Amino acid sequence: MALTLRSLARQTWQTFGSIKTGVVLIILVVIFSAAGTVILQRPMTDPQDMERAYSPAMLRLLDATGLTDVFHAPWFVALLILVSLSIIAASVERFPNAWRHFARPYKSPDEVFRRVLPTQAQIAIQNDEQALSAAERALARSGFKAEHIVRTESFSLFSERHLISEMAVYIVHVSLLLIFLGGIVDALWGWRGSVTLNPGMSSNHVELRNGATRTLPFSIRCDSTGEDTYTDGTPKRYWSKLAVVDKGREISHKEIVVNQPLVHRGVRFYQASYGRTGKLATLTVNAIPTQGGESQEISLAMNQVIALSGDTSVQLVEFIPDFVVQDGRVYARSNDVVNPAVHLIVTSKKSNASVNYWLPEIPGIAENALSPYTFEPKSLKTEVFTGLEVSHEPGQWSVWAGVVLMAIGLTFVFYVVHARIWVVPVEASNGSRALWIGGSANRNRDAFEEAFIKLVEAIQEELKTPSAEAQTPAASIAGS
Amino acid sequence: MSRAKLEQHPATGTTLVVLVGLSIAFLLFMAFLNVVKNGDILSEANLLYAALVFYAGAGALYLGFGVTGTGSYVRFASLATWAGLVANTGAVAHRWYEAGHPPFASLYEMLLSFVWTLAALTLIAEKRYGVKVIGTVTMPVAIVGVVLMQLLRSEVRPLVPALQSTWLHVHVTLAMLAYAACALSFALALMFLIQDRMKTETFLAATSVFTMGIYAAILSRFERWGGLNVVAWDAVNKSEVFISRGVRVFVTIPDLGWLMLLVFAAVAAPLVLYILSQVKQNELFLSLANRAVFISILLQALALLFFQLRTRDGLYPSLDVEGLYPTSLAASPFILSALVGAIFANLLYLLLLWRRQDLERLLPDREVLDRITYKTIGVAFPLLTLMIAAGAYWANRAWGSYWNWDPKETWAAITWLVYAGYLHMRITRGWRGRRAAYFAILGFAVVMFTFFGVTYLLPGLHSYA
Repeated sequence: MALTLRSLARQTWQTFGSIKTGVVLIILVVIFSAAGTVILQRPMTDPQDMERAYSPAMLRLLDATGLTDVFHAPWFVALLILVSLSIIAASVERFPNAWRHFARPYKSPDEVFRRVLPTQAQIAIQNDEQALSAAERALARSGFKAEHIVRTESFSLFSERHLISEMAVYIVHVSLLLIFLGGIVDALWGWRGSVTLNPGMSSNHVELRNGATRTLPFSIRCDSTGEDTYTDGTPKRYWSKLAVVDKGREISHKEIVVNQPLVHRGVRFYQASYGRTGKLATLTVNAIPTQGGESQEISLAMNQVIALSGDTSVQLVEFIPDFVVQDGRVYARSNDVVNPAVHLIVTSKKSNASVNYWLPEIPGIAENALSPYTFEPKSLKTEVFTGLEVSHEPGQWSVWAGVVLMAIGLTFVFYVVHARIWVVPVEASNGSRALWIGGSANRNRDAFEEAFIKLVEAIQEELKTPSAEAQTPAASIAGS
Repeated sequence: MSRAKLEQHPATGTTLVVLVGLSIAFLLFMAFLNVVKNGDILSEANLLYAALVFYAGAGALYLGFGVTGTGSYVRFASLATWAGLVANTGAVAHRWYEAGHPPFASLYEMLLSFVWTLAALTLIAEKRYGVKVIGTVTMPVAIVGVVLMQLLRSEVRPLVPALQSTWLHVHVTLAMLAYAACALSFALALMFLIQDRMKTETFLAATSVFTMGIYAAILSRFERWGGLNVVAWDAVNKSEVFISRGVRVFVTIPDLGWLMLLVFAAVAAPLVLYILSQVKQNELFLSLANRAVFISILLQALALLFFQLRTRDGLYPSLDVEGLYPTSLAASPFILSALVGAIFANLLYLLLLWRRQDLERLLPDREVLDRITYKTIGVAFPLLTLMIAAGAYWANRAWGSYWNWDPKETWAAITWLVYAGYLHMRITRGWRGRRAAYFAILGFAVVMFTFFGVTYLLPGLHSYA
């Protein structure tokens, strides 16, 4: 029983590791991801748009199958896990063989190997040792460091280059797994949300995407925020000066802009939006007594009462950023400060009379003429807010490590060739001595073959040099 | 010997060279007169104009070579391409200097860089690998690119905050290089199929299916009563018209939908006739099919002309907002390039039909083509990987998340998976030749969908490109 169970597990494992399973899984991922881009996705679409696009029955079906949120559906995550398992199984299945190749290189070729190797050549020689040392010199000149292989009855050369290339595929596979691991970690422990702050405010509550609130172990304070524009008015830069406050102590501060977030303890704060709340920060006016006298400049905040003289005081009671008058009343049309109006109340203690003063003067409503002071607007500051995106992605380092590793791995896969050269003195068919040269490369074989031919020619050159009387028989090159 | 050669090529080729040379000289002289009047010689527009003139000359010569096989055309064609590339480089440099950032920020700038890459790749493919006919394909594309640029808003526009990142430039540069490599592998795979003695009528069916796909995509914007929805265009500001942030106004051009439907039927005809010829085993249907291709090209050109005429002037109603809006070719670069691309593909088919033997003589061996296709994908795949990585890194800095599953991202991942599949099949399963070529073609089809289809058909964050 145990045996069959084991063989079943073994079989499953092998099935996972087969290239066929891998391709089927890849095709499934492709199909479902494509579906996720064609069908409207819940997280990115308004509910109303969803209802407009699909019939209720259809929408129920799509929701039930998870097709309206493919990329977060459990079955899609399961599919990605299966892909990971397949990569692991395939790598583990093939690794031992590759490792043997890697760790225990085949250094002295036997007769069978010498017969079947596609890329090889034979040169007639006089003397084994002389020929081998000539070959070693030629190899060294083409960048191959030769190793002397001494067996009981033979002496030969072996040389190889870029052995790491054999491992390249595994590097790529491991990098892919690292990326997946990062993704899974972030899916389980990561979160995203937002914080909206006015200058001077601080908060440690993050509103998460799903509507919940998360409390941070520290607070973030906004000291100021603003926007820079190009001369034509298009936005150039949004910035916020932020400070991290922990137990009442300021730990760090930074001016963030779009593309340059603040990071504290793995939590990242991004500049996401910037705008005006439509509320007033301060209003500066010149107050001029109607009966003559010194004018004075005063700054008013909302609902603040300021004494103008012993008797008279003024209070700012209303600020309308974009006013419109209808049926004798003042309304706000929008929160954009395009057409502002302020409502001041000027009170006299003695006569106990108050006057509604409007800037600008709105006919029928304002009683500006009755006021003991006239007010000249100097400047108006409205309240701004900064919208911060907050995210915590503990798995991202695994992702970036995977990306870097993959770049390295792919370079090895495509551009680094593991090349091996064997040089063995043998007995030729006619009984004289010959030098057998064999070569093999794990990829880009046509380029290797050209290099191999050059190498053989170089060895022949070397053979000629020390003993001029030595004959130079033509090399017979197979496999080219 | 020379006599035999003469018989093989009755025209020595001087006529076309002289004609093209004269037109280039004439156009440049006219431009020069204009420039002298205005005083500004090395402006970007002038450089671009010079590039256009040279590319057009090169295109004519390359086409002449493709049709007649006269060797001397190529020499002059690559000379013209060199000249065009120099002018184009000047325009790119000028732009870069003016804008202060690499020219990738708008559609105009991307086209500028794309055309440059295309010309450079053409010369590399020709000099390095001896693929001489490649200019027949790439130069017309370059010409369409430069013409399209004339319609687009070209002044240097300031970058919105999200685009002010070095990583964006890295991302876009890598994308451009990767897609160019994919395009090259596609062209090489097609050449392989030609050398692999794939039947000419199979190319006919494929061309017909491809063209039908294009018209089907265009007809996805078909409205009731035969209208066609296109994006409204503000001719004064040279920009699209927006209802609210990111939502464009679509206008309905009446009757154009019917015309497109008619052309769809015309481009489907060759496929139907091909299927008939296969079922009935009758060669007659094939010759009819070839004629149908010819007719469909005429109709397609007609559709393009009507599209241009209807969009040029006139105001059209919109389904979403009140009022009448103008539109223009520039508002629908995807429709335009799809229409031009379809005509171009059909012309290439005719080239194959009429000049197959010459092509087979001119192209490299099938083994060589098979190998270069693989090598090109060996370049494209790492570039695709790095492009996705750079994009993810940028997204992480700008939006706070390295992967959002937005359609463009997802399709980039799909492209990557398809090429990963190709590599696995080739390396572990030893796929060579035809199956590998089909895979390379599939890969490029996905690239095209990622580049054009996603922007045109699917919504998403990638509104910049």
